[in-house]
Amino acid sequence: MPGKHLSHASDEPCRRCKHNLSVLVVRSEPLCHDCFARYVHTKCIKRLESFRVHFGAEQPPRILVPLSFGVSSLTLLHILNRHLQTQKSKTGRTGFAISAVYIQDPGQDLPAEHWLEKARQQYPDHQYASLPLHEVFRLVPDDASLQALVPQLEHQGNASPQQRFAHLINSLSSATARADVLTTLRTRLIVEHAQRIGCESILWGDSTTRLAQRTLAETAKGRGFSLPWHISDGASPFGLHFHYPLRDVLKKELVSYTHMSEPGLAALVHETTPGVAQASMSSKNTTIDDLMKQYFESVEENFPSIVANVVRTTSKLEIRPGAAADPRCSLCSMPVPGGRFGIHAWGGDQQDGQDFTSSGRNNLCHGCTRSIPKPVVGCSGS
Amino acid sequence: MPPSPCALCKVNRALILRPKDHSKLCKTCFISVFETEIHHTITTNALFHRGEKVAIGASGGKDSTVLASVLKTLNERYDYSLDLILLSIDEGIKGYRDDSLETVKRNAEQYGMHLTILGYDELYGWTMDQVVEQVGKKGNCTYCGVFRRQALDRGASRLGVKHVVTGHNADDVAETVLMNLLRGDLPRLSRTTSIVTSTPSASADPASDTNIKRSKPLKYAYEKEIVLYAHHKKLDYFSTECIYSPEAFRGSARALIKNLERVRPSAILDVVRSGEDMAKLVPGSDEGCGGACSKGVSAAEEEEGEGGCGSAQGRSTGGEMASVEAQLRQNEAAVDGHLETEITTKTINGSGKQQEACAANGKKAKKGIVPKKSSKQVMGQCKRCGYLSSQEICKACVLLEGLNKARPRNHIEVGYEVQDVSLNSVRDELDATSIRRD
Ligand SMILES: [Zn+2]
Ligand SMILES: [Zn+2]
Ligand SMILES: [Zn+2]
Ligand SMILES: [Zn+2]
Repeated sequence: MPGKHLSHASDEPCRRCKHNLSVLVVRSEPLCHDCFARYVHTKCIKRLESFRVHFGAEQPPRILVPLSFGVSSLTLLHILNRHLQTQKSKTGRTGFAISAVYIQDPGQDLPAEHWLEKARQQYPDHQYASLPLHEVFRLVPDDASLQALVPQLEHQGNASPQQRFAHLINSLSSATARADVLTTLRTRLIVEHAQRIGCESILWGDSTTRLAQRTLAETAKGRGFSLPWHISDGASPFGLHFHYPLRDVLKKELVSYTHMSEPGLAALVHETTPGVAQASMSSKNTTIDDLMKQYFESVEENFPSIVANVVRTTSKLEIRPGAAADPRCSLCSMPVPGGRFGIHAWGGDQQDGQDFTSSGRNNLCHGCTRSIPKPVVGCSGS
Repeated sequence: MPPSPCALCKVNRALILRPKDHSKLCKTCFISVFETEIHHTITTNALFHRGEKVAIGASGGKDSTVLASVLKTLNERYDYSLDLILLSIDEGIKGYRDDSLETVKRNAEQYGMHLTILGYDELYGWTMDQVVEQVGKKGNCTYCGVFRRQALDRGASRLGVKHVVTGHNADDVAETVLMNLLRGDLPRLSRTTSIVTSTPSASADPASDTNIKRSKPLKYAYEKEIVLYAHHKKLDYFSTECIYSPEAFRGSARALIKNLERVRPSAILDVVRSGEDMAKLVPGSDEGCGGACSKGVSAAEEEEGEGGCGSAQGRSTGGEMASVEAQLRQNEAAVDGHLETEITTKTINGSGKQQEACAANGKKAKKGIVPKKSSKQVMGQCKRCGYLSSQEICKACVLLEGLNKARPRNHIEVGYEVQDVSLNSVRDELDATSIRRD
């Protein structure tokens, strides 16, 4: 597998330094090892302007890097670590401090502590933590809304976070719904953790390719209304800031980078879902996320600029003024325009249903309504 | 499998697995719920007013045939009091429309609707066959596309009809949403998601084509359900697979929609909803008012980009993606070369989002240059024919001018002069009242 993405073939000199031999072709430009590394660094660092060294500041702001131990999040940690060292050697100070967090999915075989320890050895200057995903039921403070998603257990005040979590996941009827709800809960747990440890920003490892997947997947799930929140840098509806420093680097470029960088980085990579993209698309377990992943990984091969353009264009969508005051979705927490929850409030459903006003406690956006099964009538009553 | 009862009436045997939500229905309930939903769409969007004369763009295919049948049914059932007529366009390609036009003629009798068939020769002074003869097979796709986009509006205007309905369904709209995301074309995305386009403007010349309202009552209906409805109602339609491959972006989007539908049947509607919501977030969009205050933005202009041009000679699939890719790379190179610092400061600081939005809104944005069409166009009217156009002379008129210059003289007098009279009168009126609508 290593080397797969390095199309040597050419004996061409590097187009940038005109000195070394090129080792791969990046968007039709043959680059040498060093120039390629610089290319990736520059694309990432130029997104970090707001984390420059501030000499007036008492303490540098703390940022959270969610780690999945995939190529993208590790590369981000690697580059950030490097950037901090550069800042320190140049100025004696740093522009930010890093906390990393790993969220354990249920049934995940990855021994979290073991891998976090490996990361700590490789990048020792930072804080590390891991949390099981079900902790979201314990940590999220306005958890009443999340609790309402598991009505059967609502009256059992003593149900553990694990029980609530398992109950919710088991109630989901499709692979798409499970993947969707897991992603949403993961984001909420990460945000909650960031706030608890005093982070001002979350730096996500998403590549261009990943953001393009996200754009089409959220569109396909009926979350077009919240797209600007999902893929733009800046204030998030959660209060803290979201940044995507690798938004200008393609997934395949990150893969090449990890293979060419120091061995310590590649050794940390632990792709938890290998071959998802190869999964048969007729399979019952295929999710909308899988579909988009497969699609963009193929487009990325020959049309990288089209992938980049999808992301660039979508980030031009504007956040509506006053959006922050809109009522939030109980699950994904996104501001829902005019509080039009559910699917029946929308003309395209062609029903006169009133589900958006009916219940004050279970307010789900269009996308979340599709994933969460309808409560069984009579069960949610007294 | 034991027979299960219909989920709605609980009496009849369920024979239909509804594509939209997989509910099990009997034939009667399916037909009734399908019609009721279209009625819901019509009433909640106030698509029609009593006594309105409405032309159904009829091709003889399943979508427009179902549209005609459903509108006839609803018009009678709910007393819309509409004057429904059929309008078909004949491109003038020998043999191409014969069967479908025969179908439309039978439909006209079956539904008791008046039918008008207008040929390209009447609308433009040229049949497609003549165009091909003139320009050769290679370049004629341009003509066919441009002419087709305007044909229904021009035809309706001829008939004095102010409202044309087309058979665009939910699959078409969803496909267009994904296609425009892939092309990075937000303005077009926002235009094509509304159910009503080309809202008539009060101050515009009533005789002009600009004043044609376009709507798509089947916007939320699944293609599969349209086929089922046609089948169970035993409708007489002309079924033909389009033999021309769509251009790459549309083809890509179509494949994605089909796969999405397989994974989650509701996904088609979910994409449509996303598209509508995103339209409200497009910088400089007037979608905030549901498109009602839009000044003459013609979605018709772009939504009929589908195949069926009839003489497309093997458009190279992937060719369009490759050329967009090349264009984007050029732009990226330009950005990297000259604008690196400017963009860095622009997008990184706190108000980056704001500034980018402004750039997209005002003059052409420097980054993320949209291929082909630029961010926001000011729509006006073609000086020659009055059709909505972003240029002074619309594409059709430009093409016609080229054709007519090359045409032998005697032809001009027969074909073009006749055409020119009606166009001229429109133009004169326009000149007389050429205050820009605002
Ligand atoms: Zn070099
Ligand atoms: Zn939600
Ligand atoms: Zn029934
Ligand atoms: Zn014109």
